[in-house]
Amino acid sequence: MAMLQIRNLRKCFDGLEVLKSVSLEVEKGDVVAILGPSGSGKTTFLRCINFLETADEGELIFDGEVFPLHGATRKDIGALRKKTAFVFQNYNLFRNKTALQNVTEGLIIGRKMPKDQANALGMRMLQKVGMADRADSYPNQLSGGQQQRVAIARALATDPEIILFDEPTSALDPELTGEVLAVMRALAQEGMTMLVVTHEMNFAKNVSSKVVFMEGGVVVEESDPTAFFQNPKQERARAFLKTILGEERKE
Amino acid sequence: MNQRLLGILLDSFPKILLPGLTMTIPLTVISFSLALVIAVVTAMVQFANVKVLKSIARFYIWVVRGTPLLVQLYVIFYGLPNLGVMLDPFPSAVLVFSINEGAYCAETIRAALESVPKGQLEAGYCVGMSYMQTIRRIILPQAMRTAFPSLSNNLISMVKDTSLAANITVMEMFMVTQRIASRYYEHLALYIEVALIYLLFCTVLTKLQALGEKKLNSYGAN
Repeated sequence: MAMLQIRNLRKCFDGLEVLKSVSLEVEKGDVVAILGPSGSGKTTFLRCINFLETADEGELIFDGEVFPLHGATRKDIGALRKKTAFVFQNYNLFRNKTALQNVTEGLIIGRKMPKDQANALGMRMLQKVGMADRADSYPNQLSGGQQQRVAIARALATDPEIILFDEPTSALDPELTGEVLAVMRALAQEGMTMLVVTHEMNFAKNVSSKVVFMEGGVVVEESDPTAFFQNPKQERARAFLKTILGEERKE
Repeated sequence: MNQRLLGILLDSFPKILLPGLTMTIPLTVISFSLALVIAVVTAMVQFANVKVLKSIARFYIWVVRGTPLLVQLYVIFYGLPNLGVMLDPFPSAVLVFSINEGAYCAETIRAALESVPKGQLEAGYCVGMSYMQTIRRIILPQAMRTAFPSLSNNLISMVKDTSLAANITVMEMFMVTQRIASRYYEHLALYIEVALIYLLFCTVLTKLQALGEKKLNSYGAN
C-alpha cells in the first residue's frame, strides 16, 4: 500500500473552488514533482497536506492511519506533522535564531531532545547541506540559496518520512538555484520521499520518479517523467510544456 | 547671576536630585515593568484572538487611552476613598502609571506582533512546535525587537509624566521643586533646574536606547 494517500481533497477560498477533488498516492522513496501554471492550486494542495491550510473535504492516509483533512483534531495534526517536514518558497528561517539554532529549535523545544544531542544532530544536518561553516550565522547574513539549504537541514533534522517542498527555488536568483537543487538531488538519491511543487523542469525531468500536472484545481495528468516530457497525453499538459520549455529555450 | 540665586540653585540641586533618584526613577522603573507585563498579555490575547479576553482588552485600551492621565490619578487617589478604598500616594501612582502605560505599550506590541511574517509561525508548526512554543521562542522575541524603539519612546515619556504624581502628593522631583520654588520665590530658575534634571535622565535613557538598538541589530535578525 502507498505510504501516503490523499483522497478527494477539496478546498475553496471565498467561494472560489481552488482544489476540486484532488487525489494522489505517494510510495515510499517516490520523488513526485507537481507541475502546473500558477493559480493551479499546487501550493494550496501541498499546504493542505500539512494542515497549513484546512481543506473543506478529503482524507489523508499515512502508513495506513487515516486523518480527516477537514476537522482534524489538534492531536491528529501534531501526529501528522511529526511525520512530515515542509520547505517553504521563502525559506521562513527563524530570523532571531542562528543557522544551527534554526535546525535544533524544533528538536529541543518541540520534541524535548537533550540539547547536546540536538546540537550534534544539527551540525550533522548542516554538514549534509554544506552549511556547517555558517552554523553561527543569522539568516539575514546568508544568501537565499544558503538560507534554503539551512531550511532543508531543518526539515531533515526532524527525521521526516516525507518532505514537502513548496517551490523551493522560486525565490532564488538563477545562479543560486543550483546549490539547492543539488542538495535535493542528493536527498532523492538517498531514497528520501519528496513531494515537490516546482517550476524547475530539469529537476522534474531528471530527478523525479513521477510527475503530476495540475491545472484549474484538478490533476490533469499523472505519469512517469520521461513519458510526460516526451509525449504528454493531455492537450493542456502539452500547451503548458510548450510555453515553459519555449521560454527556457529563449533564455 | 547673583550670588544668592547661585547659592539657592547649588543648595537645591541635591535636594531635587535625591527624590529624583529615590522616587522618580523607582516609580518609573516599577510602573514601566508592570506596564510591560500588562502590555504583553493584552497584546497577546488580541493577537491570538482569544474571544472574551480580546473584547476586554479592547475595552481597557479604549477607556485608558480616552481619558487623561491626570484624571486617572485623581480618580484612584481622591476618588476611591469614597468607596472606602484608601491607597497611599506611591502605590496609587504605580497603579495608575502601569495601567495607563500598559494600554499604550499594548498597542505598540500588538502592532509589532502583527508585523512578524506569518511564515515564522508556520515554520514553527512544521518543526513540531506548538502555538505557544512558537510565540514564546520565535514570534515574541522578534516582535519585542521591532517594538523596542517605540517602547523606549514610551519609557522616556513616562519619566516626565511621573511629575504628574505631584498632584497626588508623591514627593517626587517636581513636588520638591515646587516647595523650594515657593519658599525662595525663584520659580524661573528652579523650574529650569528641575527641567534640566529631567533632561539629564532622558538623555541617559536615549543613550541606553541607542546602545540597545545597536546590540539588537548586531544580533542578526531585522
